[in-house]
Amino acid sequence: MPETGAAAAASGMAARKSSSGTAAGGAGDRIVFDDVSKFYGEVLGVNRVQLSIPPGITGLVGPNGSGKTTLMNLMVGLLRPSGGTVRVLGMSADQPEQLFRRVGYATQYDAFPPGLTGYQLIESLLRVHGCDPRQAAALAWQALERVGMVEAAGRKVAAYSKGMRQRVKLAQAIAHQPTVLVLDEPLNGLDPMARAELIALLRELAAAGLFVVVSSHILHEVDLISDQVVMLNGGYVVAEGDIVGVRDEMEEQHPAQVLIRCDRPELLAAKAFEQDHVVEARMLADRSGVLLRTRDAGRFYPMLNRVVVEQGLRVESVAPADADVEAVYQYLIDGPPGNGGRP
Amino acid sequence: MSGPPLTAGAAVRLPPEPAPPGAPSASGTDVSGVTGAAGAAGVRGAGAPWALWRRQLAAVVRLELRKSFAGRRAFGLYLLALAPIVVLALRALVPRAISDPGNLGDATRLLADVYQAFILRVVIFLGSVAIFGSLIRREILDRSLHFYFLTPMRRELLVLAKYLTGLLVALTLFGVSTLGSFLLAYLPYDGRLRNAFLLHGPGLAHLGAYLLVTALACAGYGAAFLALGFFFRSPAIPALALFGWEAIHFLLPPLLKQLSVIHWLQALCPVPIAEGPFALLSDAPSRWVSICGLLALTAALVAVSAWRIRRLEVVYLDD
Repeated sequence: MPETGAAAAASGMAARKSSSGTAAGGAGDRIVFDDVSKFYGEVLGVNRVQLSIPPGITGLVGPNGSGKTTLMNLMVGLLRPSGGTVRVLGMSADQPEQLFRRVGYATQYDAFPPGLTGYQLIESLLRVHGCDPRQAAALAWQALERVGMVEAAGRKVAAYSKGMRQRVKLAQAIAHQPTVLVLDEPLNGLDPMARAELIALLRELAAAGLFVVVSSHILHEVDLISDQVVMLNGGYVVAEGDIVGVRDEMEEQHPAQVLIRCDRPELLAAKAFEQDHVVEARMLADRSGVLLRTRDAGRFYPMLNRVVVEQGLRVESVAPADADVEAVYQYLIDGPPGNGGRP
Repeated sequence: MSGPPLTAGAAVRLPPEPAPPGAPSASGTDVSGVTGAAGAAGVRGAGAPWALWRRQLAAVVRLELRKSFAGRRAFGLYLLALAPIVVLALRALVPRAISDPGNLGDATRLLADVYQAFILRVVIFLGSVAIFGSLIRREILDRSLHFYFLTPMRRELLVLAKYLTGLLVALTLFGVSTLGSFLLAYLPYDGRLRNAFLLHGPGLAHLGAYLLVTALACAGYGAAFLALGFFFRSPAIPALALFGWEAIHFLLPPLLKQLSVIHWLQALCPVPIAEGPFALLSDAPSRWVSICGLLALTAALVAVSAWRIRRLEVVYLDD
């Protein structure tokens, strides 16, 4: 484990935030990690993970080596925990016969069985699922259509571009219509149009009640698509829950930053400072706005509305400056955002 | 990426999970009239989904045959299987290579030498290393083993399916090799004597015995190299050790000979061969002891592989 990871992990356990609460809900209708650890020899994969993942899109975020893939592989039984238990909708990974009727997994491995076309890959694996030839063909075409790969279905997978391979992996994961979809870095290699389409597809699946677990080391991506996030660093879960909830719980230690562009920022700063929860006001260099820091966002926004109305301010924009996944992640592992990048 | 929703209103549905023992019958028929394989199997099998397993087994065999044995990788195997045929074909075609076309005994002795010294010890042995040693190991090197592990298939069944695929390929290749060698060994001889030998003499019995030995060798060596693939990163090293052990088996004392696969296989060959002045002689085991022993060894080794794959984790090299 890298030094930064270890340090962050040590502090991470203490600083761990949970807005959803662990182990909420029945174990049979969630993905539950109960005190799960995984070591590769003496190398830490993940340690003491306690999670209860509900339906919807859950983003696993963290830098490379933080334990995202390990967590996913543990979920589907490609790895076995060194300690603790993992149950997906009440099923153990020791029962692949049941588990993989309900779980689809697109791994990050960019390798495929040799010699197969995209269609043959999907159809063959559906046959391994137990489908008869008609079913397998119908489901394979359906999945390929969903990921926009019908045209390329007859070409060898080995000749596919990176983006096409990502899509055929997704087709393989969704072809048997799983309830739980686990996707390891699914947006890697996709062009902007394909990314937008994939994100729309994931949202559609989540809206239909699926569990969609997505990993990414690009925090911005996860922020865009996730209903809740699990933040990992150095093999430890440092925070989990919906990002707003996690951010709210950090207000005492890391006051929320709000950037307001308006015509009289000095007046707004003065009025804001009258509130006990506003701890800092910093004027922008071009005097076009002010950055305010507050320990209570719930009281801040009504106050802002009142001041704007009472003082007749012309407001151009109001934007949280540190309420995204990236900022929260940086607070958790590295101090304030903008201090030099990721760990 | 567009199309109808995947779950709600999808045109095709997967078969339900196999029903547990005693569960009420459930229809596996979806809106399009496709009958759910697993569902039907589960009901008929009363908890033992034999139909589903058979279907999964067939699917893996089909996929393995397509991806592993129809491509360029299999080219070396085909050459290996052809080698004895080519050698014997050249002998049959070269004028005056046969000193006495009326002496079928020469052909019988030559075939025994070629079969036991070359086909059995080299062609089938190395072919089995290539076929069975790569069934699992090759998938790990290709980083594609997880595709099978992410399907609702018992891993033990996957091992069995892969083993059967390998066996099918090995039996086809080396069965043809054995048959071709047999026919070519007798081809240059007098036709009348040859027909009498094959149709009215011991010819067909010899052929049957050679094919049986080939089948048992493929099964036994195959099971051994499949199992070794779970214990060694490269099956080449243990294969080399086993090759050496088999090569010197004629020098071994009787007790150690019994730890050699070739000892049991040679006992089934129709014509014994001379093993040189340094060979330590021992009683040949009976035919049925050899057959049953080799089959039992095969079953035990496949069971070891099934046990190993149950605990196998997918951690590819350089992960």
